[in-house]
Amino acid sequence: MTEAIQLNKVSLLRRTQEEFSYDLKKTILSFIEGKYKAPTKKLTLDQVDFTINVGEKVGIIGANGSGKSTLLKVISGILQPSSGQVKVRGKIAPLIELGAGFDPEISVRDNIIFYGVLLGFSRKEMKEKSHSILEFAELEDYTLTPVKALSSGMISRLGFAIATDVQPDILILDEVLSVGDESFKNKCKQRIEKFWDANATVLVVSHDLNFVKESCERGVWLDRGRVKFIGEASETVSNYLEGLKQNQYLSI
Amino acid sequence: MDITLKNSSALLQAQRYWELIQVLVTRNLKVRYRGSFLGMYWSLLNPLVLTGLYAAIFGTAFSRYYNNSIPKYVLAVFTGLIILNFFSSSTMQALSSVVGNGALLNKIRIPISIFPVSMIAANIFQFISGALPLLAVVTLITSKNILNVLALPLPLLALVMFCMGVGFLVSALYVSFRDLPYFYELIIFVLSIGTPIFYPPDILPAKVKPFLLLNPLLPVIESIRQIALSGNSPDFYLIGNACIGGIVMLLIGLGFFRWRQAQLMDLL
Repeated sequence: MTEAIQLNKVSLLRRTQEEFSYDLKKTILSFIEGKYKAPTKKLTLDQVDFTINVGEKVGIIGANGSGKSTLLKVISGILQPSSGQVKVRGKIAPLIELGAGFDPEISVRDNIIFYGVLLGFSRKEMKEKSHSILEFAELEDYTLTPVKALSSGMISRLGFAIATDVQPDILILDEVLSVGDESFKNKCKQRIEKFWDANATVLVVSHDLNFVKESCERGVWLDRGRVKFIGEASETVSNYLEGLKQNQYLSI
Repeated sequence: MDITLKNSSALLQAQRYWELIQVLVTRNLKVRYRGSFLGMYWSLLNPLVLTGLYAAIFGTAFSRYYNNSIPKYVLAVFTGLIILNFFSSSTMQALSSVVGNGALLNKIRIPISIFPVSMIAANIFQFISGALPLLAVVTLITSKNILNVLALPLPLLALVMFCMGVGFLVSALYVSFRDLPYFYELIIFVLSIGTPIFYPPDILPAKVKPFLLLNPLLPVIESIRQIALSGNSPDFYLIGNACIGGIVMLLIGLGFFRWRQAQLMDLL
């Protein structure tokens, strides 16, 4: 077994939202008055330590604000850990909020190339792929239309088509996808299943515990930035539910 | 602290950087000129109109500083304006580039510096297709020396380095200080009046004149005017002067950007 993702005592300190000053005038004034305080930082990930092997499907669960999305960002390389090491083998495709990278002013075809290059492909590759992407998204008639003229359903279809056409080694899913109308949802499901069957490593963040139990092999339970439990998916889910119950008892 | 990828050789990263710049510049230019009749040449309209305006208002009064020739005054104003325009539009666009793409930076792994760099690059492209040919023709006519035309890119390179440095600096600052555009607009305005563009530097009183030396754009403008308008062969002392300013600013900007880079993501 080779490992696809290896996290070695990863910690992340981030500035907290309330501390944002965003104001040059205020900052200068507070310096002059001698009231300037260095922004405080909060530990959002605390010594996270696990390994995911190639081909494994792993679900990450936990309450809101427990650091699930932050962890995915660290794995994708968007955020650099404050300490510890992240090792990733292979190409990662993020599937976080479809269509977030589109520019509404330029055409669908230009957006396919633009988005693909952002995801790490060359323009040449994307030009070759653009036909199959348009076909999958059922947008062949809209090739030269600016994206702002598309409906929101069409935009998410396009986002899904691009992000899944690229065949990554590691797929990252933040929340389960619900894209477009019923017939398109089925197409998406099939494509995701194809990823599942292939030897791709998949990381899912979800609040749908049944989905995690059924589709994932392993589960990671994050609690306030710490790994509380890691093990078989169904075991992790039941431990998580157990933990929630205990918390409720305590608060009552 | 490090993120290792299987294929992360320096060459591949440079290639990706180049691909990203290309798509970002294309997007930028496409958005700006979609459906516009003059396209790229809109960027020339502003300096041309202003040159006409200055010539009409100050031409007669100032022409005696330019060998009593209004055309010479017009050319001096025009060269100054295209340089000032390049500086103000490229750095203004670079300023908001990182914050404007904050949502994207939070979703996909992209080097942050790509955004200010691509803004400057888009402006270079615009300059090359709009103002540069005009400048080259003027240079050829006044100097009748191909060497002068060939030397033109040198002070322009200094200008690009200077703008890149300022672009790095302001784009990183804007992430933490969202009221920066107001200050920066004021700085640009001070600079546009404080630079001898539509007036000859000779009219300044002796007490004020030393302050001109503080103006970082002046060496570039002086060098361009010397090459394009004086008729003499290129003065490499002026070119060197401009380049030193550009390199210093680039290093300052780059250093600041790299220093802040780790913190930027928390504020986007």
